[in-house]
Amino acid sequence: MKASRYSLRWVWMTLLIIAALSFFWSGAMTTSSGGWFSEAIAANNTSIGEVTTENDELKLRPAPKPTRADYPDIGVSSRSIVWVVAQMHLFFGALVLAVPLFVLVIELLGVYTGDSRYDDMAHEFMKISITAYSITALFGGTLALALFLLYPDLMAYMMRVFGAQMMVYGILFFLESMILYIYYYGWDALRYGNAKWVHLSLGLLLNGVGATLMVTANSWATFMMAPSGVNEVGAVVGNIWEIMKGPLWNPINLHRFIANIAFGGAVVGAYAAYKCLAARTTEARAHYDWMGYTSNFIAILAFLPLPFAGYWLMAEIYAYSQQMGITAMGGILAWLFIIQAVLIGTILLAGNYYLWSGMSRTEGSKRYQGFVKYIAVVLVICFLIWVTPHTLILTSGEIAALGGSHHHLLGPLGIMPAKNIAVNLMLVFTFMSFQIYRRSDKVATVSWAKAGNALMIAIYAVAIINIIFAGVYYGYFTNTVYKVGSSVMQVMSTLTVIICGVVLDAFLYRGAKTLPSHWGQVSNRAQYALFALPIAFTWLMALMGYVRSSVRTHWHVYTVMKDTSPDNFIPTIGYAGNMMTIVTVLFVLFVLFIFWIANLSGTKQVPAYAVNKEPTAERVGSVT
Amino acid sequence: MIKNLHIWLFAFTITLLYFYGLDLFIMSMQGLPLNMDLTPAQ
Repeated sequence: MKASRYSLRWVWMTLLIIAALSFFWSGAMTTSSGGWFSEAIAANNTSIGEVTTENDELKLRPAPKPTRADYPDIGVSSRSIVWVVAQMHLFFGALVLAVPLFVLVIELLGVYTGDSRYDDMAHEFMKISITAYSITALFGGTLALALFLLYPDLMAYMMRVFGAQMMVYGILFFLESMILYIYYYGWDALRYGNAKWVHLSLGLLLNGVGATLMVTANSWATFMMAPSGVNEVGAVVGNIWEIMKGPLWNPINLHRFIANIAFGGAVVGAYAAYKCLAARTTEARAHYDWMGYTSNFIAILAFLPLPFAGYWLMAEIYAYSQQMGITAMGGILAWLFIIQAVLIGTILLAGNYYLWSGMSRTEGSKRYQGFVKYIAVVLVICFLIWVTPHTLILTSGEIAALGGSHHHLLGPLGIMPAKNIAVNLMLVFTFMSFQIYRRSDKVATVSWAKAGNALMIAIYAVAIINIIFAGVYYGYFTNTVYKVGSSVMQVMSTLTVIICGVVLDAFLYRGAKTLPSHWGQVSNRAQYALFALPIAFTWLMALMGYVRSSVRTHWHVYTVMKDTSPDNFIPTIGYAGNMMTIVTVLFVLFVLFIFWIANLSGTKQVPAYAVNKEPTAERVGSVT
Repeated sequence: MIKNLHIWLFAFTITLLYFYGLDLFIMSMQGLPLNMDLTPAQ
């Protein structure tokens, strides 16, 4: 037994080392010290002036300049085809990369608490991911074919720039597939004792490979937005690491990483809601209610810091190219940020509504229910401020009646200081909903409970005053440099509330008296809120993905390779809106298919001989 | 009653000091003064 334990420990160590190696794979091979990978790809710090050999001249080939005739015409808009397929690949890619992340945490929680319900739930989450994985691969393959067929010059250039890194991506994809299948299908075989740790190590490895896949693919998108490692005509002058680590790479990496978790949580939440509504027994309803609550918890917790990651991304876009930043937030795409506000508002309202409804599960919630109406009022007011546009599309008659292009009351609410206040307050009050929900089934027993509560209330009060003061004073009464600088104060105030709330509650409710919770005792309306979340998230991802891609305007690779195809223009907002809606509906249909497949795998047909009264009938009964 | 008052005073004092320090730190990090005199900065 002892020998077996030691040998298993070696297995874990080996797996962990492989996980670490795979995670740092691309970085380790691509340092400027120059491994085989770097040397194979790049001209290694060669400047144009040093070009002497024929080989170097070949490496310094500029980006292609295709004419309109170089783009194949298949009778349908090439951009529309790639738009739909790429977006579908991204949706499913986000889902399959995110689910194993929180599955690993839930599985670990099951090990530490000894509660097998966590393990069952984690396994069920993976069931959704496994079907989605095949669909991700199918859309990925279709996307690659579509790109090579419809944009051959662009793809030839991208292949030349990234070279063997594309093969590394392929290898990682194989690794991801193999580990994913072992992780899922080996769940019950590696469930107890030391074997469980092997399984957890596999989960870690899976996430390491998944994260590396994501950042590798991100480097292609960010290279197209902000190319690095190439000169002004697009010739490769840096090694692969210099090409990958462009100014937008890490902001995108962080933003997608957090967004994927929120998105994945929302999608599996919808699955839980679907199962909860369809449950035929009290036990099943209680199980799926708990699963839905956990999913919402993951989605909202990941969503809270997401605006800050988005803020960093936009700040880096502005720092890279002011023109690009203004195109996004001050030009034609600016209106899309109003739609973004509507969608984020929908997510926050739905998330809050679910928490308020869920409070009915415990009698202890009566202590906090009085707060709900005030939180709702603040959320609605902030939501309305956030969606207020700065510049209205008006006729000359309307401008004359208004006395100018800006409404004297709504104008000030349409600019960033007002929106910064609104966004931060919405996040603070959403966290408040979250916190009172978490507290509703507990009674603190520590001696310093009163002081702890006073401190938490003081933090809320001062943070809210700080957010409003920074927004109003620095936003409206000082110059722009203060306006931008003070927004960081607001962000930090919000983060302080969230971090202090989580830490303080962890200590305050240590050894707390727990009041009974009745899982399953929640209104069906709460489950519908769980359906609203993934739809709003999907639409939001389609919207902001379009904005991110469109800021390149008429460039395939910004400032380096022009787009001369018939689609080299920013489409109208209506057209873009229709495309986003199409991909969202398509994704929802595919997700329903996945839910159905996941349900089908747990369904067993009852043999005809077992049905005594109707021997010829074929009955289908769910085992869940 | 007095004890409660002390608790609240203590909580708010700590929090106010923390946020003042945070604001000061964030603005100075960006090379900006924490202009509290309500005079528009130039």
